[in-house]
Amino acid sequence: MIILVVDDESQIRKLLVTGLGGYGHEVITAATVEQALTLGAQGKPDLVVLDINLGQGADGLEVCRRLREWSRVPIIMLSVRNDETTKVQALDAGADDYLTKPFGMEELRARIQAVVRRVVVEPGGAAESVIRVGALEIDLVNRRVFVGGEEVHFTRQEYDILRLLATHAGKIMTHQVILRAVWGPEYADMTHYVRIYVNQIRKKLRENPAAGVRYILNEPGIGYRFVDVGTTDDGRPATDARD
Amino acid sequence: MTTKQTPSAARQVGRFLPALLLVALTTLGLFFLRDQLSPATKSLIYMLVTLIVAVWLGTGPSVLAAVAGFFAINFFFVEPYYTLDIAATRDLLSLLIYLAAALIAGRLAAYAQQQAAAAGLTAAQQAILYDLTSALNPLTEPEPIRAELRRVLVERMGAEQVDFLPRSDGPSDGPADGPTGVPAAARPRDPAGNAAFVLLEAGDAVYGTARVVFPAAPAASQHRLLLACAGQAALALQRADLTAQVARNRTLAEADRLKTAILRAVSHDLRTPITIIKTSAANLNELGERLSAGDRRELARAIETQADKLDWLVGNLLDLSRLQAGAVVLHRELNSLEEIAGEVAARAFAAHHAERITLDFPDDLPLARFDYGLMVQALDNIVDNALRHEPGDLRVIIRGRVTSDEARVEVINHGPSIAPEEREKLMLPFRQSREGRSLHGDVGLGLAIARGILEAHHGDIRVEDTPGGGATFVLTLPQDTKDEIRDTSLEGSGLASRRTTGVVSYLESDPPEEPE
Repeated sequence: MIILVVDDESQIRKLLVTGLGGYGHEVITAATVEQALTLGAQGKPDLVVLDINLGQGADGLEVCRRLREWSRVPIIMLSVRNDETTKVQALDAGADDYLTKPFGMEELRARIQAVVRRVVVEPGGAAESVIRVGALEIDLVNRRVFVGGEEVHFTRQEYDILRLLATHAGKIMTHQVILRAVWGPEYADMTHYVRIYVNQIRKKLRENPAAGVRYILNEPGIGYRFVDVGTTDDGRPATDARD
Repeated sequence: MTTKQTPSAARQVGRFLPALLLVALTTLGLFFLRDQLSPATKSLIYMLVTLIVAVWLGTGPSVLAAVAGFFAINFFFVEPYYTLDIAATRDLLSLLIYLAAALIAGRLAAYAQQQAAAAGLTAAQQAILYDLTSALNPLTEPEPIRAELRRVLVERMGAEQVDFLPRSDGPSDGPADGPTGVPAAARPRDPAGNAAFVLLEAGDAVYGTARVVFPAAPAASQHRLLLACAGQAALALQRADLTAQVARNRTLAEADRLKTAILRAVSHDLRTPITIIKTSAANLNELGERLSAGDRRELARAIETQADKLDWLVGNLLDLSRLQAGAVVLHRELNSLEEIAGEVAARAFAAHHAERITLDFPDDLPLARFDYGLMVQALDNIVDNALRHEPGDLRVIIRGRVTSDEARVEVINHGPSIAPEEREKLMLPFRQSREGRSLHGDVGLGLAIARGILEAHHGDIRVEDTPGGGATFVLTLPQDTKDEIRDTSLEGSGLASRRTTGVVSYLESDPPEEPE
C-alpha cells in the first residue's frame, strides 16, 4: 500500500516513514500544500496521513478539501491536542478519521486498517446483512436486535441511530449527521436529543463500561463512533484508548 | 449670588404691582389720619412699608416703593397739599432723608433676604450630594456608579437626560493622562443650550464626560451642584478602578506563586522522565547490537512509558494554567452524567484490565448542563486517585444524582479516611505527598485540575467520609433553572419537562414535535 505522509516537521515525516515502512507500506512524503497536492495526484497513494497544520494555520484542511474535489482516497488527519472545532472541520472537509498527537504507531496502524477496510466495504452499502459485535447481533434485513441471544425491542429512532452507527463502525458520526439522518435537517441543532437516545440505546445494549463492554464511543463535542470490530482479535468489543 | 432666573415681563409686573398697591393702600389709610399723625410718623410708616416690600419682593420693588412713598408724602402730606411743591426747607430735608434711608434699608433688607435664600439652597444641595455620596459608597463597579449618578441627576436635580460619553482618546473606563475636550459631535444636538457637559474627573484621571440635559438652561448654582455630583461620581469611579487593580494584582501574585511551584516541579518531575528517555535512547543507540532482544524491548518500552508520562504532565500543566488564568472556554451543553462515568469506567478498565468500578445511576437520570470533555477529565482524575487507594478486593462506586438545582456525582472509595484538616490541602497543586508521587509520578496536579474544572462550572468538590471507612469525593454542579426554562421554550415540546420525570415514555412516542 502506498501511503502519502504530509507534515511540515521533518522529524515526524522521518518517524512515519520508518514506522509505516516497518509494517510493509511504501511511504512518500510532502511538507507543503503544493507538494501534497502534486504527490496526491502523481504518487497515486492508497491512503493519506495529513497534518492539519502545515505551518500556515489550518492549511491541512485546504489540502483535504482540494483532494476531495476529485479523489476518494482515505484521509486520516493529525492534530495537536483536543480541539473539537478543528476535528469537526477536518471531518467536514472530507477526512475519514483523525488522530491526536502524540500517538503510538500501533494506534495509527489500527486506524489505517479500519479506514481502508471501511472504504473497501462502503461502496456497495452494508456488505453483510447481520452485524455481530461481542454479545450484540443486529439483523439489518429484519430490523431486529439481539443482545446475548435475547431479542431487545428498539423504537424506530433508536434502531435508526444504532444502524447508522453500526454500519459505519469505527467512523465518527457527528451529532448533525445523526440528527439529519434520523429526524431530518430541521433538527440539526438538537444535539441533546441524540444524547438522550444514545443513553437509552446503551442501556438496551447492556453496556458495562466498567467491565470494558462498550459499543458506542463518545467523541466529546463531535459525535459518536461505533466500536470497530476489526481492531480486536478476541471478538470482544474494543475499549477506546485515550486520545 | 444670582438666585433668580431671567424674569419674564409678566413676572416683573407681578413683583412691582404689589409694591405700588401696598404704597397706595398705606397712602389711603394715612390720608384719613392725616391730621392726627406727625410728618415724622408718616415717614416712618412709609419706611416700614419699604422694608416689608424689600423683604417680600426684593431690591427693585423696594426702590419703587421708596420712590412712590416719597412722592405720596410730598403730594398728600406736605403743605401745600396736592402739589409736588414743598413750602418749608425743613420738610424737603426730612423727605430727602426719608428717601435715602428707605433706599438703603430696602437694599439691606433685600440683601439679607437673598442671603437667607442662598443658605436654604445650599442645604438642599448638600442633601442631594449626601444622597449621592451615600449611594455611591458601596459601589465598586463603574456601570452602577454611572447609573446612580444618572438617577440622582434625574430624580433630584430634574435633568431630562443623562448620557455618558467615553473619553475621546481611549476606552471609557480607565484613567487618562489629562482632561479631554467635549466631543464636537455632541454639540449640534443641543441647539437650545440646555445641556451641560461635565468631566468625570478625579485627580489627574478622567473617567469620561457626562452630558446632562435640563428643561431650561441650568443656573450657576445648579451648575456648581452638577460639578460637585460629577466630582463625587468620578471619585467613586477612581475607587472602582483601584479596586479592580488590586484584584488584578492579587491574581498576578497567585499566578506568580504558581509559576514558582511549577518551576520547582519542573526541576524534578519533568527532568526524571527526560533523563530516563535520554539514557535509554543512548543505550539503544550505542549498545543496540550487543543487547539481547529482550533488553532492547525493555529500553524501548521505558522510552514510551516515560514519554507518555511527560505528555501527561505537560498536558496537565497546560490545563491547570489555562484554568487558573480563566482562559478555558466552557462548552456547556446538556450532557449525560452516566455517559461521562461510563467513559471514565472504560478508561479504568483499559488501564487495569479488571473491573474496579461500580456505576450507580438511576434509570431516569435527567441530562445536566456541563462541558463534556472537561468533566470527563475532572472525574477521571478523581476516580484515578480513588482507585489508587482502593483495596484490591473492593470497587470504587461512582454514583450520580440530579436534583432541580444541582447535579451531583459521588466517587466513593473504601480505603483510608482523610482527616478533615488534610482535605483542603489535597486539592492544592503540587502538594508534596510521597505516595501520590511514587505511584503515579504526578505532582498533585490531578485533584487541583479537577477542582479547577468544577469551579469553572461554578461547582465544587468536597471530601466526606465513606461510612465504614474511606473517602467520598462529592462533585456538585449547580443547574441553572433559568437554563431549563429557556430550553423548554426553545424546544416547544415536552422534552425538557419530561427529562425530570423519566425519558422512557417520551422515547416510545414518535419524533419530537416541531421546534419553534
